[in-house]
Amino acid sequence: MPKRLVYLDNAATTPVRPEVLEAMLPYLGREAFGNPSSPHRFGRAARAGVDQAKRSIAEALGGGGGGGGGVEPAQVIFTSGGTEADNLAVIGCALAARDRGDPFRVAVSAIEHKAVLAAAHAVAHLGGEEIILPVSGSGEVADAALNEALARGVAVVSVMWVNNEVGVVQPIARLAARCRDAGVPFHVDGVQAFGKIPVSLSDIPCTLFTISGHKIGAPKGIGALVVRDRHAVEAIIHGGGQQFGIRPGTENVPGIVGLGAAVELAAREQAAFAARAAALRDDLERRVLAVVPDAVINGASGPRAPHVSSVSIPGTDSEALLMHLDLAGIACSSGSACSTGAVEPSHVLTAMGVPRELGVAALRFSFGKENTEEDVEALVAALPKIVEKVRHLSAVLHR
Amino acid sequence: MTDRVLVAMSGGVDSSVAAALLVEAGYDVVGATMKLFCYGDSVPDRPCCSLDSITDAQLVAHKLGIPHYVLNFEDRFGRDVIANFVSEYARGRTPIPCVRCNSFTKFRDFLYHADALDCAYVATGHYAIARDGGLFRGRDVLKDQSYFLWGIDRGVVARMLTPVGSLTKPETRTAARRLGLVTAEKPESVEICFVPDDDYVRVLERHLPSDAPALAPGPVVTTGGEVVGQHDGFARYTIGQRRGLPGGFREPRYVVAIRPATREVVLGSGDELLGHAVTLGELNWLADPLAPGDPVWVQCRYRAPAVPGRVRECSPATLELDLAEPVRAITPGQSGALYDADGRLLGGGVIA
Repeated sequence: MPKRLVYLDNAATTPVRPEVLEAMLPYLGREAFGNPSSPHRFGRAARAGVDQAKRSIAEALGGGGGGGGGVEPAQVIFTSGGTEADNLAVIGCALAARDRGDPFRVAVSAIEHKAVLAAAHAVAHLGGEEIILPVSGSGEVADAALNEALARGVAVVSVMWVNNEVGVVQPIARLAARCRDAGVPFHVDGVQAFGKIPVSLSDIPCTLFTISGHKIGAPKGIGALVVRDRHAVEAIIHGGGQQFGIRPGTENVPGIVGLGAAVELAAREQAAFAARAAALRDDLERRVLAVVPDAVINGASGPRAPHVSSVSIPGTDSEALLMHLDLAGIACSSGSACSTGAVEPSHVLTAMGVPRELGVAALRFSFGKENTEEDVEALVAALPKIVEKVRHLSAVLHR
Repeated sequence: MTDRVLVAMSGGVDSSVAAALLVEAGYDVVGATMKLFCYGDSVPDRPCCSLDSITDAQLVAHKLGIPHYVLNFEDRFGRDVIANFVSEYARGRTPIPCVRCNSFTKFRDFLYHADALDCAYVATGHYAIARDGGLFRGRDVLKDQSYFLWGIDRGVVARMLTPVGSLTKPETRTAARRLGLVTAEKPESVEICFVPDDDYVRVLERHLPSDAPALAPGPVVTTGGEVVGQHDGFARYTIGQRRGLPGGFREPRYVVAIRPATREVVLGSGDELLGHAVTLGELNWLADPLAPGDPVWVQCRYRAPAVPGRVRECSPATLELDLAEPVRAITPGQSGALYDADGRLLGGGVIA
């Protein structure tokens, strides 16, 4: 067993923060276990937790604001996580458009999370159409492609604020304004943005906004979709009418309370976290390049969020690197995916034009609030020997 | 090098117990499951990468407190094993993919990973015994799998650990129960891993062109040259087969030969199925090579008894053996595994 464990995979998930767990506990036990739809005291106690969480989240995302630019508590719709929120946004908008007689067509960027891409694909499967918006080498959605999609008419445009694999930041305000001007709902997957870069929806005229709990110290299984226009989406699951029928089902009260607490903390700590994460990331990249001079930082030419670094190490494959790093006690993730057949570069790196041999050799390091300089130190100490071994292995296996 | 060992964990009971016994013995154990083909292809209702066997291996590794990884060998396994399986059938032969998997995948490609991970040893759940630089039959005569191992690199044997080779299958199950492994009651798999439902023709149909001669109709003839029927592809037949042949003979008739050039499936009597000599190609040695005149035991089929014989001719490429007693249905493409009188595996080859 390695002496020291290093977790550099915070974009995959994070541990539940002690403050969050503490906030949740009353809602798991006798104190406030009730069904928030019940009018009795047990229900009221649970309802209060849900309502408070909505307020916290609305506040953290920009508050009431002037001129209706912010977020109202009633606009926060809880889901089982980011994936469901993304599905609700993309498929829900498409279904609502079809009902209105508008185009049953969605446009999403090529570097979206699979939750969005697969949802767009589901729309096509349902008889609609999906438009994939290409990105530049730095990962930015091309204006021309967006304009073309808007001209054709779409039910929703979905673009992630911060990409989960490379950290690329999209010009969300500009894209949102374009969609608003065209009268098209705009969905922002903010899962990797919230808590990492300044996020205030009072400046962003988006219709829908996704957050996820477990990326910010809340448990897995809770997320939210901010729905600023209830008519823009139709429910994709059906039930008892909770949450205005947009997302029925008895609320996951402890999860919701945990999400509220985590969002509040993340918003408060964002600036300090970003400064620390950026320093660690810059240090990591500088020192990795010093020990592996031909390593390539993916997406470095454009604006990036501070907590993600995608590094390709030529002549290796990321699955083997991950295994060797894990045995050395270092956890990160790869930029490749197991698709049918062999290991392939991720759709994100491919869309950004990263060559295949670099795409299959990509590692993603992602920082959280617990990471320190020692973590970077441990990685940099272990990496050269691992790279040497994996290069040798890859050379043997691919000859 | 350390006392680290990379264990190939298939998700079955044998390799689970192998890993567990090595942990008990104090080795620094790393588990790995080789992903050899896309399970989604052959098992349509299961998505890629979620095959139960991988999950089982992961559960066992977790229980044992050892790291576990999935190694993707799909490309190489497809090239070294599946492609050969298909081309052998297309040539009218009956291949054993498990032999090539051991030679090329389990004890070659897997070793590359073991080397990179600084593993002094590799281990599997094979019923065979690696000892003193030699490879021997497993203790359980019913389970012995040494037959499939003749083609591995001789240098690998010294690095092999075979913890279940000295157990009987019931003892392995007992050990699995004692250790509380989820795989303890898992049924025996006897299929070729990439051939679902034992339907190898379906695999051939998927990999061969639709007009491949091996799957096209041809004549069924007797050894005398008389055409007695039609078949719908010689790849559907194997030497020694009795079922599914045209009837109307006084004596039982068997497939005694397949002639791909003329697409003929040849029927003959039981006597015509007996061979008194065997020629092996693609030789590999796990001991010093034999020379003409040397006595040896040869096993021509899995679970068939080995028979004594003597080397008639030996070149680096082929070995001709005279058999002391006739062997039924010597089948091109199967293996001839060579043993000494003590059950040491000396090497082997593919039956020509």
